[in-house]
Formats: sequence, C-alpha cells, structure tokens
Amino acid sequence: MKTMLPRFGRGLMTCALALATATPLMAEDLTMWVRESAADPGTLMVNLWNSTHDNKITLTAIPDNQLVTKLATSSQTGDAPDLVSFDLIYMPDFMKAGLLTDLTEQLAADGNYATHIQAYKDIATYEGKTFGVGFTPDVSVLAWNKDLFRQAGLDPEKPPQTIAEIHEMATKIRAIGPDTYGFYFSGSCPGCNIFVTSPLMVAGGAKILPKDANDTALDGEAIKVVLETYKAMWEEGLIPESAEVDTGANFVSAFVGGNIGIAGTGGFLISLMEREHPDFDYGLTLLPGLEPGQVSGFVGGDVVAIPANGKNEAAAREFVTWVLSDEAQLEGLAKNSILTTRTDLADNEYAQNPKVQVTAQALAAGYVPWVFHFADMVNSDSSPWITMLQTAIFDGDVDGAIETARAEMMAIVQR
Amino acid sequence: MKIKRNGWVGLAWLSPTLLFVSVFVLWPMVHLVWLSFTSTSLLGGGEWVGFKNYTTAFNDPKFWAAFRFTLLYTVILTPILMGLGFALALLVSPNTPLRRVTRTVTFLPVVIGLASSSLLWFWLFDQQVGLFNRLLVDLNILSQPLVWFRKVDTAMIAVIISVTWKVVGFGMILIMAGIQSIPSDLFEAARIDGASLWLRVRRIILPLALRSILMATVLSVIGSMLAFDQFYLMTGGGPRGKTFTSVYWIYQNSFVRFDLGYGAALSVILMLVIMAMTALQLTLQSRGKA
Repeated sequence: MKTMLPRFGRGLMTCALALATATPLMAEDLTMWVRESAADPGTLMVNLWNSTHDNKITLTAIPDNQLVTKLATSSQTGDAPDLVSFDLIYMPDFMKAGLLTDLTEQLAADGNYATHIQAYKDIATYEGKTFGVGFTPDVSVLAWNKDLFRQAGLDPEKPPQTIAEIHEMATKIRAIGPDTYGFYFSGSCPGCNIFVTSPLMVAGGAKILPKDANDTALDGEAIKVVLETYKAMWEEGLIPESAEVDTGANFVSAFVGGNIGIAGTGGFLISLMEREHPDFDYGLTLLPGLEPGQVSGFVGGDVVAIPANGKNEAAAREFVTWVLSDEAQLEGLAKNSILTTRTDLADNEYAQNPKVQVTAQALAAGYVPWVFHFADMVNSDSSPWITMLQTAIFDGDVDGAIETARAEMMAIVQR
Repeated sequence: MKIKRNGWVGLAWLSPTLLFVSVFVLWPMVHLVWLSFTSTSLLGGGEWVGFKNYTTAFNDPKFWAAFRFTLLYTVILTPILMGLGFALALLVSPNTPLRRVTRTVTFLPVVIGLASSSLLWFWLFDQQVGLFNRLLVDLNILSQPLVWFRKVDTAMIAVIISVTWKVVGFGMILIMAGIQSIPSDLFEAARIDGASLWLRVRRIILPLALRSILMATVLSVIGSMLAFDQFYLMTGGGPRGKTFTSVYWIYQNSFVRFDLGYGAALSVILMLVIMAMTALQLTLQSRGKA
C-alpha cells in the first residue's frame, strides 16, 4: 500500500502532464458552410485538405438563397461556422457590417497572395483591409451545342460573336424541329441573369449597378439592345415557354438536356459534363457584346472568409493560407478542371483543356461589381434587375422597364 | 383565507405554462414591437426611428398588393377547404373499417411538411416532366402541357390544388370530431320522424357541429393569411411579383434586404389584422350561439 500511493500519484501526474502538453497539439475539427451551387468544388477542396491535415473540416452545403441569411443570423447569435464559402458579391455588405475577420496582415505576409487574381483581391477589400480570398472561382461563358449546330447547317466550330449572331443562330436551330430551341435563359432567376445576361450588356459598353448615390445605373445602349434581342427571341418562340418561370432550377439542366442550341452558363459546366455527360459535344466561348471582339464575363464563384469571433480562428487561418498554396491550387482546383485563383499557376499541367482556357480568358475579360445592397438591387425575387428583365422581355415594355429599374436602383443606393 | 391559499396553489400549477408563454410568446412579441420602432439591420446596427417604419409600410404599394393577394387567396381557399372538409367529414364520421381507412388516407398528407408537399407539386405541375400536366393532356382536358406558374390565375389554382391536397384532412378531422360528439339518439329520433339526410344535415349536424366548423375556419383563415412556403417554393413570387403574400414580403424585407426593423413593423401590422379578423369570427360565432 505504501508503494501503491506514490505510484498512483506519479501516474496521475503523468496523465495530467500528458493532457497539458497534448491539448494544444490536438486536432481541432472545423465547421464550414458552403453555398449549394459551389458545393461540388468546395467538397473537392475540403476532401483534399482533410486527407492531408489533422484539423478536419466538416462541410455543410446551404441552399444558395439561404446562405447569406443564415450567415448573417448566425453571426448575430454567435453560432457562425469557423469558415464560410459564399458568393463573392456579398463581401462588401459583410465587410462593412464587421462580420468577418481581418486577414490583412496574414495575407500581406503570404507570398502566394501576391499572384492572387486581382478581382478577388478587390472584392474582398474594404477600407484598406482584406477579409477573404478567392476559394472556388467561376466565370460566366456562352455554351453552344455542336450537334444542334450541325443539324441547323451552322459551323459547329464557329460560335456567335455578337448578340445579333446569337439571335440569327438561334433562329436556325429552332427550325430543326418543334422540340428544339435556339436559346435558353432562366427568366425568373435574378442571380442567373446577372451572371450570364449582364455580361452581354457590359461587353457592349453598358454599366449595370450604381456604387453610390452619385453613380449611374443601367447606363448604356447595350442594355436596350440585349433586352430587345431577348424579347424578339421570346416572341419568335426561340426560347422554351418554361423559361419564363424558371427560378434557376433548370439553369444548367436545360442546356444539358440536349435540345437547347445556345445558353449562358459558367465554368462549372466543364467538370459537371466531364463527370456526367462525357460524350456531350459542346463548346464554350466568351459572352459577346454588340460588335465582334467585344467580350465580357461575370467573375463569380466563392470567397472563403472567417466569420468574426470564430471559436477556432487559428486553425481557420491555416486553411485560408492553404487555399492559396500550390497543393490546393493544382491538386484541388486545376486537376478538377477548375480555374486557379493564382495567376502564376494559370498555365499548369492540368490546364490543357481548351474549354478551361476559355474560362481563363473570360476571367481576364470579366467584371465583378463592387457594390452594397446587391441582394436588394439584384438577387431579391422582386429586385429591380429581375423586374426589368421580365417586364422588358415577357411584357414587351423595354424602355419603361429600364427607366423604372434605374429609378429603383438609385433609390436603393440613396437609402 | 382558504380561497387565497387555493389561489396560490392554482398559480403554482399555472406557473410552468405562464413561464413558457412569457419566454416563448410574450417576450418575442415585445421584442418584435420594439424592433419595429428601430432601423435594425440583419447585418447589425440600427437606431430608434419612431413610427418611420409604420409610415413607410402604409405607403408601400408592394406590401398592400401582397396583402390584397393574400386576402384573395384566403377568400378563395377557405370555402374550398371548409366545404370539402365538411363533405368528407360527413362521409367518414360513421365508424366502419372502410371509412377509417379513407379517413387515414385523407389525413396522411397533413403530416407531410408543407415545404415537401409544395416541392412535390411544383414538379407535378412542371411543363416538361410534370405528371399532373401529363394526366390532364391524356384526359384531353389540356391540348398541351401548361406552364402553370406563368400567369397569376393558373399559379393560384396550382397552389390551391396543392394546399387543398395537403390540409383538407385537417379540417375533416376537426369537423368529424364535432359530428361524432352529437348524441346518436338525436339521429335515431330524426330517422323515426322521417327526416331526410339533407334535413338531418341542416337541422342537426350543422347547428350542433358549428363550433367545430368555426374553429376549423378560424384556423384555416389564420393559416392562409400566413401563407409563405407554398408560394416561396412554387411561384417564387412570380409572375412579376404578383404572387407575393404578406409573409413572403416580410421575408423579403427582413432576410433578403436585411431590413429587420421594417420587416418587424410589417409583421406587427399583419398580426393586428389577423387578430381583428379572428376576433370578428369569434364574435360572429358567439352571436350565432345566442
């Protein structure tokens, strides 16, 4: 008994010491939210991280239209996840509200950040401070179905170079048969249309969203031309009737269905088609403007950020650093036909796919609006943006639609 | 003294309920009213703005358009639900095995979530793959599949069909309970006196089951005035924002535009309107009894 007590005491001390030293080294499990439409590339990245790191990340996909609401609500109640991957367009509102962790010093010291795509740097910077990095980039492009081009007597290797050519080619494709349509867009999806329709206007020299009360909204002739072209295609039956009520459910599936000639889409289509429709013969090109050579794209995708007052900030910061590493960029993004967010790695062993190269060009030519109130002006179901499109295209009042939307957008930024 | 002691005992028995109601009903309601006088944003911040949100609300044509649409939806849906619910209750109230099965089958959709049922019907109504559209074409009711959500009328019909399927069983059960509580000797006496089915329904069932019918009506009206899920998932407020309901508009302002203060003011207005409507219904009910 005499010998047992000291042994027991030593054992206890050893255990306590082991616990004390082990605790800081123990892996911290992180939680991360990703919007549903970016869940595929997000999962690829997180799986790669989890396979090489002790701090495992549990990824939860949140429906696109709920992520911002959930993030804002959880930030207010202190239940935000450790990391969040969300639509870059909401960065200005979240940065201004102070809901994200300042990463300025960390990124300034990170050599990889120097070659990070400028559009992501810009959208994640507010008043000189940086709050996030591009995570799973995407950009809008124009897709065309080569089989339908052949059937319509069009050159399958020659996509439309202007908005007028889209109309012409769509007319020929519609003539193939009653179930074949020339063009498609999701008529009740504001987000889909800022992604694929607004670049047609921007390529033609238009400006869409105002940054503040002194700025202009919906400025430029290209807005009217694009709306009139869409209206004409709608009235001529080149677009399926169901497009009018599509809130985004068929944004991708309509083109993948095989009976649509031309449609705006995103770079995400490449990996989706490789996985699920490897034999589908289609091409990608930059979204055109009014004249040949005018091109644009909406630089989209997700940024990764750390909600303020996170419980595992140190581990979360480690993940942000890793996102810009060679491993994440090449093995997580490029290997899966996704663009890298570092310009020095754009030309890599995996980027030989011509379609990926098109998206890289679109990224260089594309735009991303740095504005507050994006949800109010664009993404809401009753936004001036979607109301303008619907009133102009389906109701036929192009001029009135633009005027009303312009006034509403200016009223929003003046609030 | 005895009464006083009994009063404390009664209060003690009531205290769990009082605590629950205070924490989960009264406090949120007080907080809602307080929010409605501020410019609180979902992203944080905000200040006291007095009645500004209310004056904005009374001048917000989109809110009142949504309110009128909700009222129209309620006025159309309630008689359908009550009429069908009453008819079904009449059919299934006698306890026979086949009627019990019918009762269960009719009630089954009630236990499905409204969001799930709305999504189910959204795809059933789809122009390209919707089975409901296909059925109507096969029966020669439609010449070709219809885009139901393209026009306000057809969108409203589609939502009403889906909601009727989903909730008619609830009204049926409530009314059936009322019918089953009527003493059977009344029916026997009526039969002996040679009363027809219609006469029995009009003179016995309707007056004696009136409380249940009115209760089902009150619940149905409140449910319809608070409609959200079905429109959010099936119409997305379209076409051109014409199928926004009051709650959908509140959601848009609170959670899409982040304007919690204004959303709270709209909620308070809607709450007062529903309370007034319910009070009116209950007053009519008590007058009917008198």
